[in-house]
Amino acid sequence: MTKTFALFATVALSALVAGMAQAEDIKIKLSTLVDKTAPARVTNIEAAAAIINDQFKAAGIDKHIVVETNVSAAKGWDDLALEDMKAFSVGQGPDIYVLPHEWIGKFAEDGNALPMDSKIAANPWAYADILPVLWTAAKAKDGKIYGIPQDAEIRMFFYNKDMLRKIGKDEAFIESLPAKVEAGEFTLDDLTALSKQVVDGKAAQYGMLHRPNVGIDYLMVFQSYGVKFMDDKTGKLMFPKAEMLKALGWYERNARQGVTPADNTAMSWDAIQGAFKQEKAFIFHQGVWAVAWQLGDKNGATWPTDKDGYFHKIGWIPAPAAEKGGKPANLSHPLLYTVNAKSKNADLAADLVALATLPYFNTEHDVASYHTAISNAQTAMPKYKENWVLSAASPMMAHAQFVPNHTQFGSYNKVLFSGLQAVETGKMTAAQAVDFIADELGLQFGADVEIREAVSN
Amino acid sequence: MATPNLRTHRPARPVLYLLPAIGLLTVFFLGPIIVNGVIAFTDMGENLRIGKFTLLNFERIVQRDARIPTVLLTTLIYVGATLFFFNVGLGALLAITTTAIPERLGSFFRGLWLLPRMSPAVLYGILWIWIADPTPTGLLAQVTSAFGLPVLNLRNDFPLFLIILANGIVGASFAMVILTSAVRSIPSHLSNAARVDGASEWGVLRHVVAPALSQPIRFITLYQALSLMTTYEYILLITGGGPVYDSTPYALYIYRRAFENGAYAYGAALALGLMVIGIVVTLLQWRLTDMRSTFAAPKIEVL
Repeated sequence: MTKTFALFATVALSALVAGMAQAEDIKIKLSTLVDKTAPARVTNIEAAAAIINDQFKAAGIDKHIVVETNVSAAKGWDDLALEDMKAFSVGQGPDIYVLPHEWIGKFAEDGNALPMDSKIAANPWAYADILPVLWTAAKAKDGKIYGIPQDAEIRMFFYNKDMLRKIGKDEAFIESLPAKVEAGEFTLDDLTALSKQVVDGKAAQYGMLHRPNVGIDYLMVFQSYGVKFMDDKTGKLMFPKAEMLKALGWYERNARQGVTPADNTAMSWDAIQGAFKQEKAFIFHQGVWAVAWQLGDKNGATWPTDKDGYFHKIGWIPAPAAEKGGKPANLSHPLLYTVNAKSKNADLAADLVALATLPYFNTEHDVASYHTAISNAQTAMPKYKENWVLSAASPMMAHAQFVPNHTQFGSYNKVLFSGLQAVETGKMTAAQAVDFIADELGLQFGADVEIREAVSN
Repeated sequence: MATPNLRTHRPARPVLYLLPAIGLLTVFFLGPIIVNGVIAFTDMGENLRIGKFTLLNFERIVQRDARIPTVLLTTLIYVGATLFFFNVGLGALLAITTTAIPERLGSFFRGLWLLPRMSPAVLYGILWIWIADPTPTGLLAQVTSAFGLPVLNLRNDFPLFLIILANGIVGASFAMVILTSAVRSIPSHLSNAARVDGASEWGVLRHVVAPALSQPIRFITLYQALSLMTTYEYILLITGGGPVYDSTPYALYIYRRAFENGAYAYGAALALGLMVIGIVVTLLQWRLTDMRSTFAAPKIEVL
């Protein structure tokens, strides 16, 4: 009797314990930059985890993915890349991290980015339709792909049409501006002159504003002036002095003529975006995703949210050509979902990325944050097509270029930015800044950066 | 009689009592110095890996870094001006004036000057950014426009002046507190006697108060010079060391090289340089201001 009872009790207890047992938690750490206009970089991975969790449950597998997100408050993507590198060096790297594409080489070289070629080949349902140009941006020097592109986008100059009306420009002039830029008739210097007219006509306090910190937008102007950052043949970074002088000279003239404030680089993002939104600035150069705060009532002013209302007020142009007959320049700067090669859950993390890359999820991200599609399929999706911002931005991709995927480009760009700051603040002339940048690059990179007189020698 | 007994009861293991202090010093002072010293001789970059041991960082400091002379000059101006005008000058002025006015009022003013010291550095930094903001919302811009003066852009045009001012105002309180107690400790009969002998107020200040302050001022100068040379948080918050490197003293230069660019080994080598500069400056001041006498045993307090 006692024996039977003991057996019964044991069986009952075991069943109870098994029923109560917690599923095994698999933690996936995700690292990205704080960005209130693009929450889907995180929520898409969470949604992908939810799908797999449901499948685990349906299949009776006792596992549960928990996505732990670290939303960094670093100053920009470059600083986040440095933060992630520090985390990796002490074995605390995230499983999935969002990375600006030009950093991929460095992370691949250090063995912290999982090569994705075999995953891409094995999962055509997720990857077969991705725009080929984006794969190019995700390749390291060895030709292998190390990240999955997200956040396709296009950079541009936004201009305020109401201000042109205020200084007496007719509708024909205002509406023909993009076409003239496209044809190379309207140059960067023309843009400066126009901005000066707007400022002199008291239609705006500032002529042109740009980002206050290191980034990509201002590089469009450098490209218009024919600057090349990398020698395609040798794969080495280069610093062509003649073209750099011209590009920095443009920023210098803007600052001296009062078109750009001398302390643009010391202004806060809020002050800059607020100035454009509150119609104190004629031009702002950034990316299409800036439309996220331009529409509606953010940043201290209310702007129309419909296509006609918005384009009646604001126009878009690429960076105009440097000289008449030249070509305008545009930049795209995709971010990548990168998987930690050393993660013990690397395969699972890669699966999450594959799901989050599906047209449905990327479109969710695109329409909320105004990024362009990463796959052809997305452009046919009703939700994407209905988004007039994205439809209008797509044609601008025609000129899109990328910054070089070089391990040192992030640091190179920081030096370039300090030269730009020196010129704008009046601390140096463009010629002095060119020497300053060349000297700094030599100091930091030695022979890894080729200082040249011009691109073509 | 009892002396021999007492001797046998002296603490047997002084090292044991010193152990916590020695431990802390080793972990938090000696350890980092050694680690820094090793890193300085490597090529550690943004991924924190050591590829090889090298002397290149030092060659770069001495021969190639064209920023170093400017940074050293900036440091000299920043430390010298802050120390002379504010950390000692303003501190002494505050101590003398707040002890000359009625007690309660004096305490109130000293309390006011301690406020920035008590507020968080970030808050203090943001306040200065607001003060210097050249747009119509900035405090200084509002004042200058009320008087019809042109708007000054301190952060862009006079960044060094701005950081000296911001650091000086927060730094004056240290000297103020120490010198107040020094002024208070002057026996009142000395100044009374001087006045009876016909000394003017200036004469009292010059011949009674000033001599009593000279020794604490020597200490404050030494201590604050070191502290100014090695701290940069307000500068980083207010100007970021910019425009370009215009308001970047040596300590901030180390930080910017190491953490803005991920050149950790170069930063470590620069930090070794700061240690050397700190030691040299301290020894020079020790000798020039005769610190030995400040720390000597008092001559009159015979027990």
